[in-house]
Amino acid sequence: MKSAVFSIRGRRDWPKHLIILAFLSIELFPLYMMFQVSFKDNATFIRNPWLPTNPTFWHWENWVFAVKLILPYIANTIFVAVTGTAATLAFAVCASYFFARRRMPLSGLLWYAFLVLMLLPSVANIVPLFTLLRELSLLNTLSALIIVSVAGGQVFNIFVLRGFIEDLPKDLFEAAEIDGAGHLQQVLHVVLPQCAPILGTLGILAFLGIWNDFLLPLIVLRDKQLFTLGVGLVYLDGEYVKQWGQIMASYFLAAVPLIILFLFSMRLFVRGLSQGAIKG
Amino acid sequence: MVAPNRLKKSFKEWKLYGFVLPSLAMVMVFAYFPALSAVYHSFFEWNGGDLQQFVGGANFLRAWRDPVLWQSFGTVFALMIFNFFKMMPSILLAVLIHRLRSDRWQYIYRVLLVIPMVVPQLVTLFIWKFFFDPNLGVLNRVLDIIGGKTALVWLDHVFHWNVFFTGVPIGWLAQPELILPALFIWGFPWIGAVGVLIYLAGLQSIGHEVYEAAELEGIGPFGKFFYIELPLILTQIRLTLALLIIGTLQGYGLQLLLLDTNGGPGGRGMVPGLWMYNRAFLAGEFGYACAVGMVLFVFILVLTSLNNRFVRAER
Repeated sequence: MKSAVFSIRGRRDWPKHLIILAFLSIELFPLYMMFQVSFKDNATFIRNPWLPTNPTFWHWENWVFAVKLILPYIANTIFVAVTGTAATLAFAVCASYFFARRRMPLSGLLWYAFLVLMLLPSVANIVPLFTLLRELSLLNTLSALIIVSVAGGQVFNIFVLRGFIEDLPKDLFEAAEIDGAGHLQQVLHVVLPQCAPILGTLGILAFLGIWNDFLLPLIVLRDKQLFTLGVGLVYLDGEYVKQWGQIMASYFLAAVPLIILFLFSMRLFVRGLSQGAIKG
Repeated sequence: MVAPNRLKKSFKEWKLYGFVLPSLAMVMVFAYFPALSAVYHSFFEWNGGDLQQFVGGANFLRAWRDPVLWQSFGTVFALMIFNFFKMMPSILLAVLIHRLRSDRWQYIYRVLLVIPMVVPQLVTLFIWKFFFDPNLGVLNRVLDIIGGKTALVWLDHVFHWNVFFTGVPIGWLAQPELILPALFIWGFPWIGAVGVLIYLAGLQSIGHEVYEAAELEGIGPFGKFFYIELPLILTQIRLTLALLIIGTLQGYGLQLLLLDTNGGPGGRGMVPGLWMYNRAFLAGEFGYACAVGMVLFVFILVLTSLNNRFVRAER
């Protein structure tokens, strides 16, 4: 009896699976195209655009080209993303410790000074930001990208972290204080271990943000050896004669570090992306 | 004995300001200063360098009379309205995944939904640009296979669009009339996937007893959608819509890369952000670009406050 009910229910789920799979195949179709085209030359692609060719005819030289082209860009991007993420989190942890731990004179005012920035659309101040970076002679440097992303990431991260630090039990801080720990030690030995999961999520979000950024690098960077992935791919797109296989292989390589990050932190990734979309 | 102790304590507390100082300094220099500078320079004729001349409201008057800016606002409003339709498939998908009885399949689909997001947004953008290509592009080939091209040509005959012709490949990003449709089609998968995860988080809070009660009342699958699921994820939907709208209003990277700095043929894909970028970095009219930025800022502010009021009134 029970199994009969179960099978009816199971059968009722089939249409849902079909619709979901249809949507998912639309989602994953660009990835499939990117992967299989990356092994073809232009002639093969025009003859046979849809199906992968026999692996013996795969044009591995597309990937060789892509590795040579993209690897320096990946190195630059990893440098910017890792330093930027670390600095963003370090600054944000300290500032949110300040707001969460004690009520100090002016702390209310400072809090609003940060909150107001949430209303500030970044699109309006890109022009003065450019001239500011020029005056600080930071144009055409990777530090400009790091500094701007650290400054831009503060508000959201402080906003989230303050809540988490306020929710930590007060006893932990008091115990640390009795043991003679200063504020910096409390941050290092109480806040960091207790907030590790949320820091991981925020870190992934910051990393993704920097990885996906291309407008700022496009404005700031001029020298080819400083290019991050974003600018590198934009210039690749601008080339007149296109070898689609080479281009697709380069696109795929641009995603490889994120795929590796994803494999090691799937749970944080899923949570981070849904929280990141919620950010106001 | 108490006083030195208190002094010592308050000195220790003053050190606490050192913790907020780095963040504050960064934000002051790289967020507040550029913002204030943008406000200031919107009243100047400014080439980005030494040439600065106070012109009062001339930049704003020029913006008011600027046909390109008006057209770009028209385009961006069309894109904003279209966000509403872009959300629907992801709501449907979230409800379908939520209604699956097997937790394992729910988890598998969730992971599969994240995978497209691992690809950098820029790459997704370029792959779509490749799909739009008139000769090699996947979109035209799919349309040929399913007969969509023939249908479009027939519709063209009936409505006299003069856009689709037999034997001529459809230039999605090359024909002024097709720029907006191309921008509408673009980006559905990515936006969809993030939305699905948010809606799923909302749907998760619905208890089994609610569904059982509904089943006892004889409410069908559509009834459940309209009476249970939709009202319960309305907060998430409103939030996503607000974020999408503000993102659309601010965005110009998509248009810059798909259509170049002039907004494509006829400038049909021009949006305010791109027009600002264009004026500053192509024409060297930094002052006017700042004024355009201010106009955009006011729009975003009005929309944000409308949204806040709307959300609060609904609660």
